Formats: sequence, C-alpha cells, structure tokens
Amino acid sequence: MTEMVKKQTGVQINMAMRKTAAKRPVKISSKIKPWLFLLPTILIIVFWMLKPLIQTLMYTLYDWNMLPGTMPEFTGLSNFTELFNAPEFGSAILNTFYYILMMLPFAVILPVIIAALLQNLKPRTQWIYRALIFLPMIMPPVATATVFQWLLHQTNGLVNHLLVSAGFLENGINFFQTEGLARLMIALITGWKMIGFATLMFSAAISNVSPEYYEAAKMDGSGGFRRFIDITVPLLSPTMMLMIMMSILFASQWTFSYIDVLTQGGPYGTSTNIYYLIYKYAFGNSNVGVSAAAALVFLVIFGIIALVLQKISNRLAFYDN
Amino acid sequence: MTKKLSRVSGHVILILLSFLALFPIYWMIISSLKSSPEIFGYSMITTQPSFSNYIDAFTTVPLFRMMLNSVVVSLGTAVIQLVVAVLFAYAFTRWNFKGKIVVYGILSITWLIPVQAIMIPNYVEIINMGLNNTLFAMILPHCCSVFANISMYQNFNSIPKALIDAARMDGSSELQILKDIVLPNMKSSIASLGIVLVITAWNDYLWPTLVARTDEVKPIQIGLKSFTGTDTNMWGASMAAATISTIPILIVYIFMSRKIISSFMKGGIK
Repeated sequence: MTEMVKKQTGVQINMAMRKTAAKRPVKISSKIKPWLFLLPTILIIVFWMLKPLIQTLMYTLYDWNMLPGTMPEFTGLSNFTELFNAPEFGSAILNTFYYILMMLPFAVILPVIIAALLQNLKPRTQWIYRALIFLPMIMPPVATATVFQWLLHQTNGLVNHLLVSAGFLENGINFFQTEGLARLMIALITGWKMIGFATLMFSAAISNVSPEYYEAAKMDGSGGFRRFIDITVPLLSPTMMLMIMMSILFASQWTFSYIDVLTQGGPYGTSTNIYYLIYKYAFGNSNVGVSAAAALVFLVIFGIIALVLQKISNRLAFYDN
Repeated sequence: MTKKLSRVSGHVILILLSFLALFPIYWMIISSLKSSPEIFGYSMITTQPSFSNYIDAFTTVPLFRMMLNSVVVSLGTAVIQLVVAVLFAYAFTRWNFKGKIVVYGILSITWLIPVQAIMIPNYVEIINMGLNNTLFAMILPHCCSVFANISMYQNFNSIPKALIDAARMDGSSELQILKDIVLPNMKSSIASLGIVLVITAWNDYLWPTLVARTDEVKPIQIGLKSFTGTDTNMWGASMAAATISTIPILIVYIFMSRKIISSFMKGGIK
C-alpha cells in the first residue's frame, strides 16, 4: 500500500517535473511578453520624462546658459540663493496660491450648484446645456487669449465700451497692464475655461447618487435647498476633493498660456506664477540653473501638498456605498 | 408653485452660463466678419459680412502652412500615442506579471510632472539630435501620453477575458488576438480617445513655442501669436486667424460632443 502510494507520488512528481520542464521555454517567453508590449511606453517615458527630470535636478547645482559650445559649470547651491533673493520669486509663489484659490469657485463651488440645477432637467435639455457650457474647455489657448484681449481692449474693447456707456467708468481700463487686475483677468479667463469641465464631473457624480436618498428626504419633508446641503454636498465630497486636488496641482498649468500671451507675467511681475518663472528664467534669461532650482522647489512643495491631500481625501471623503 | 419657480430660476442661471461660455466665441467669429470701420462699432451683428479680414490674415502670415503643420503634428502625435497605449493596455489586461504595480505607479507619478520641469533637458536633447525647428521635434517627446495609456487600459477592462482565453486556446498569437479580437471591439472607444488626443495636441502651447522657430514650422496656435501684441489695428485679421484655428475643433465638437465630453471626463484635464 505505502509502496503504491510512494510509486504513485513518485510518478506524479515525475510527471510534474516533466511538465515544468516542457513548460519552461513557454514560461520564460510569457514572462518577457508583457514587457515587449510595454517597451514603447517604458522607453519613451524613461527617455523623455524621467531622464530629463533627473537632468533638471542636476542642473540646480550648475550654472549654464544653454549656448552651443558652452558647458555647465558647477556652482553648488548658489542657484538657490539667487532664486530666493530674486524679487519675482516671492510674488510668483504668492500668485501661484492666488490662482489656486481663484480656481475654487470655478472648479468646485459654482459647478456643484450648476450640476444640482441640471439634475432635475430632462436628459435632452441637460445635454444641450452641458455641451454649451463645456465648449470653452476645448478652445485653443492662444485663440482664447486673443479673443479676451480684444474683448477687454482699453479703447476698442466691448467690455470697456459697455462699462463706459453705463457710466461706471470715465475711460477704459487697460486690464492687462493694471496691477491686481491683470492676474484677476487671467484667473477669470482660466475659470471661464474650467467651469464647464468641472460641472460635468459633478453632474456625472450626481447621476451616480441613488435617487432613493432624495425620495426619502422628500418624504421627510426636506425642501430642495436642504436636500442639496444634506445629500448632494456630502455625496459629492470625493469629486470635490478630486477637483480641489486638480486645481492645486494644475492651476499653474492652466494659467500658463494666458500669462504668456496676455501679460508675460507683468505688470511688474504681479501676474506671474511659479511655472512662468521657471520658463522665464530658462528661455528669457538663459539661466538654466535658477530655472531648475525653481522647478525643484515647485516639485517639492507640490509633492508634499499632493501627499497631504491624498491622506486627507482618504480620511474625509464620504463614499456612497 | 415654488417648484416651478425654482425650475425657471434654474433655467435662467443655466442660460446665463451658456451665454457666457458662447459669447466670446461668437464675438470672435462675428468680429472676423466685420469690415474695417464696422469692427470698432460694437454692433452685435454685421450687416455686410466680408472676408477681407481672412484675406489679410492669410497674407500676413502663412496661415495655410501653419494649419497644415498643426494637422500633421496633432494627427501624428495622436496616432503614435494610440499605438503605444494599445500595446500598453493589452499587456496590462492580458497578463498578471511582476512589476505591474510598479509600472503603474511610476506612470501615475509621471502624469504629475509638468512640462516646465523637463523642458530644458528635452530642448537640449532636440537640439543635439539636430531636430530643432522641425515637425518631428513637436511629435517625438509626446509619443507616449500617460492619460492615453491609462484610459485605454480602463477601456480594455470591458473586454471579457474569456474571449481572449478562447482565442489563445485556438493557438492565436498575441498580436493576432489584439488585431482580431480586441481592436474590433474597441473601435469606438479608441476613436473617441483619439479625438481627445488630437485636440490636446492641437491646443498644445509651451513645447511648440520652444522648438518651432520659423513660420514654416510653427503650428497654428503659435502662428496666432504673430497677431497679438504687435500691431493693435490688426484686430480683424487677428480674429479671422483665431477663428480659422478654432473651426476644425468646433466642427469636430458639433458632431461628436458626447464622445469628446465623456473621454475628457476620464482624465483629460491636464
């Protein structure tokens, strides 16, 4: 009996061994196969994103002007002292936060309200409004900037014309050359672009909320506003967190092209942000080291913010399940 | 009564917002059609639409060439990104392999790297390759879109695994499975992702300003800048050029707004 078992297990082991032996070449190739399919992605990401990122980090310690024939010169941490002492640096950091704060009404507050308004409309009507409100999102950046430059032009722009005709102003304002107004206009144009997208995100989230919650609340006699506060807002909190995170991480990116076309950071650096500063140092002042230092500061600040937000959103967001 | 009132006020707010979204675009188009004295007149319509601004725009800069550059760059970029994304998504759907999570993690992190943090080394690289001021310079660094890879992967998840397994039992090779089983099922989602990638490339701004130096190479978005900030009396031509640069996107949007919107919502925000 035991003999037979031994024999059998022996045969089994033998067979198993033979199986693995036969399978071996197949197994190796099936281990490689996924990587062959991933190869283009990996090569491109490594060559055009990770390698340059490391190079940028290295440039923070060098002085270089990118001119052909010149070599980067090691200067230690002096780029950072130059950056921190630059008068634009403070205002760039400040404006970066200004733009983020200004995005919140357009990426979170107004879209939540609009999405709630859309909620009770017929699907067809909903789609018409959505399609219209979303349109700015796909408008090309320079075309958008040009149109707003024209609308807000000091002497021939429609907005100034209306303000002067209505008696609010005596003369037209030069919006993009006035301290304080320049960055406000850039924030508003970016908000104009983002609001439709954010609305759609919230609309999609609302359509996932079970109608039973609203039915139950109605039975309890809550009005539309109460239902909005008690049901819609808490259930949308994950989407709100997402949009807040997006605003924080990408507001500088969204405003970049408008800053470049409309104000070049001016007047007196009052509308610049950290991204624009990085760009200006590199391609305006040909100062690669300081530009890289600014990029590193940016990456550190935003990396920390992203991590903190991730933690908060995991803890606070209220999920409908 | 209050219900009706709230519904009406809802419509009022939505109409107002739609108006705000549309008006600048309307103003761009209507200004482009106004003749020289009329454009400074603030009229909401034009009584005698003229194309003189368009003629001005085309004679000031080589707009046609710039449009062609934009078409080549945006289509080229989108097609390559789609191919790379399809291969990536197939590997991720088909196999469970060691390192999958690591690859995904690295990919999500690179999504957060702004162009500004990598533009200098890439610019130097393009110059060293001798590709500065060519259309290749605008396509090459963007051959892989993290957004495309991840959305394609999400799309591929809808394919029943049994379908792939059945084909594998039949002895089909991986590329055959991809070509005969997966792609035919994914046509419509690949198409809508493709449109979003084309629009994104069409609207790209910072990188082309760095590597497109002459009018013959500039895409239309960069070409438009010749009208801003130089001569303030060129408003008509400027609006005409802006309109031309927008029209292709508007046309695509009119026919495919649903697809475009839903693909954008999957993460095309950056």
